[in-house]
Amino acid sequence: MPNVVEVEGLEAYYRTPAGDDLKAVDGVSLAVREGEVLGIAGESGCGKTTLAQVLGLTVRKPLYIRSGKVLLEGRNALALDRETMRREVRGKTISAVPQGAMNSLNPTLRVRNLVIDVLRDHHPRIRRREAVERARERLDLLGLPPRVLDAYPHQLSGGMKQRVIMVVSTLLDPVLLIVDEPTSALDVTSQKVAIKLLVDLLARRIIRSIVFITHELPLLRHVADRIAIMYAGRVVEVGAMEDVVFRPRHPYAAGLVGSVLVPEPGMKERTVTGIPGRPPDMRRPPVGCRFAPRCPRRFDRCDRDPPPFVVDGRKAWCWLHRDAPHGGRP
Amino acid sequence: MVRLFRNRPYLLYLTRKAFWYLVAFVAAVALNFFLPRLIPGNPVSVIVGQMSAGAVESATLERLYATFMRDFGLDRPLPVQFWTYLTGVLQGDLGTSFMLYPAKVWDVIRQALPWTVALQVPAILVGWILGNVLGALAAYKGGAFDRVAFTGSLMLSSIPYFCLAIIFMYLFAVHWPLFPASGGYSSGYFPEWSWGFFLDALHHYALPFLTLVLVAIGGQAIGMREMAIYELNTDYVNYARKLGVRDRRVVRYVFRNAMLPQITGLAISFGTLIGGALVTEAVFSYPGLGSLLFTAIRQVDYPMIQGITLIITLTVLLANFLVDIAYGFIDPRIRAGQAGGR
Repeated sequence: MPNVVEVEGLEAYYRTPAGDDLKAVDGVSLAVREGEVLGIAGESGCGKTTLAQVLGLTVRKPLYIRSGKVLLEGRNALALDRETMRREVRGKTISAVPQGAMNSLNPTLRVRNLVIDVLRDHHPRIRRREAVERARERLDLLGLPPRVLDAYPHQLSGGMKQRVIMVVSTLLDPVLLIVDEPTSALDVTSQKVAIKLLVDLLARRIIRSIVFITHELPLLRHVADRIAIMYAGRVVEVGAMEDVVFRPRHPYAAGLVGSVLVPEPGMKERTVTGIPGRPPDMRRPPVGCRFAPRCPRRFDRCDRDPPPFVVDGRKAWCWLHRDAPHGGRP
Repeated sequence: MVRLFRNRPYLLYLTRKAFWYLVAFVAAVALNFFLPRLIPGNPVSVIVGQMSAGAVESATLERLYATFMRDFGLDRPLPVQFWTYLTGVLQGDLGTSFMLYPAKVWDVIRQALPWTVALQVPAILVGWILGNVLGALAAYKGGAFDRVAFTGSLMLSSIPYFCLAIIFMYLFAVHWPLFPASGGYSSGYFPEWSWGFFLDALHHYALPFLTLVLVAIGGQAIGMREMAIYELNTDYVNYARKLGVRDRRVVRYVFRNAMLPQITGLAISFGTLIGGALVTEAVFSYPGLGSLLFTAIRQVDYPMIQGITLIITLTVLLANFLVDIAYGFIDPRIRAGQAGGR
């Protein structure tokens, strides 16, 4: 299956007001395939939101890409001009459900008018009535009350706001939807409804792929086809959901899996372990493996050399697997 | 009564507002009466003192003093005076001026009012509009433009009116005598509808106008810049951009929302209309309400002070009420909050 978006050897930096550069994403290569749900998980500050911005082609100051390729459906996405990007890509090829959905709607704009603005800025000839009608049909299809169109954001509950944003984001049937921590401010019931809505959007082929960013690994078990685990600006393990969750290769991935409670048979026997320590200072990352200072299975080499890249159907950047076949640098 | 407001939350909101404005007005009317009387000094002594520049017999002076006290009603107890004042105000009679006796207060105010309105209203509006545009541009452009605009605005807004007025007067009326230093028109002219008078008045108008506009620009630009910077970084702006909404439209969202507090700023500016004008007018001896109030306070002219402060009170209340009405239309959150519903 073709890739919707693909990054190769991506290095993305934040420029601090002092003029220093802070590396946020370091040498990441990752592809989002058409038809899949790709989960990206990791601790706060590991670079997952930054990576999402690159994948969503919404890089803007102070973030910038120093090197690497960004391909949109096989073509160089960095060469697109601003207007083409706005009209043809944003909302239409790639759309997003932003982090902090609570404040993502303009407080003085009715949902109806946002819908009109979004549709008209991509289809200049569409009439206001048609635009509203289209949104009404879509809401109806997805089981949301069409009256939300007449509401101002403050008249909607948190869960409803989130769902409305999901509908508005997918009005133009984008190929890829990037959702960043979509459930972080919601109660469990609303979380479930929001996830159901995402699954529904996929099932109805309104959208084709999802990049799902979260720090809650258990959530990904229900929706993701593949999972990428990020640590300190690098993807440390990528693989099919079952492999990463049940048979993690990288000690950090194993640590993440081991640090959550999952109510399932056999749970009582397992102990929940956290990962001791803190992520490294990105201004001075460790020379060797970045996880080494916190790694329970560290040995000498980890401190000296950056770990290799292992391919045996799975990828994990770790010295433990150096003897696996086809090993090599990314 | 209840039925009248059912399904008309906005009417209820306005009625509630109107009630509170009425309460504020009554309180202000009472303060208008009592505050001038706290100024040390007896107005009649001032007048009699001025009349007795030549030596007059002390018995005559005392008679004169008693006559004025009786004529002005100052010999009667305070509550009675207050009652006279209240009934007068309600009938639209502001009384007789002490210092310009026997001129009626309203007649004097009527002559000064147009000068103040003509000076202040355009100055406030122009300053408000230019200030908001400058602040918005500074926020949007950033960089060197922002630094210059921000520093300049900060400087302008922190200069007191009288200071800037004196600097301007020195630079443009004394050092380079481009504009007249004082007055509303030249002594050869008389207020009338003619080109000659109009041009002469405009010539006198320039410096006080410029002073007021510049100070207003500074204050408004700083407020607008803060608000616009805040709004430009909100989640809804980022979201709209991710959806591919045109930049032009996003900027419109931002400025509409950033304008909301600025509208209150406009109302407050109108409120401080005469407060700001007082000093500026006094420096330029401009024939408006400010200069008049200044003189009235020095001469302890109770009715004149009361009359002018009453006009100020009414202006402030009216401006705020209009803003409240406008807010209800512009900001749905306020409308909902005030009407006590969603």
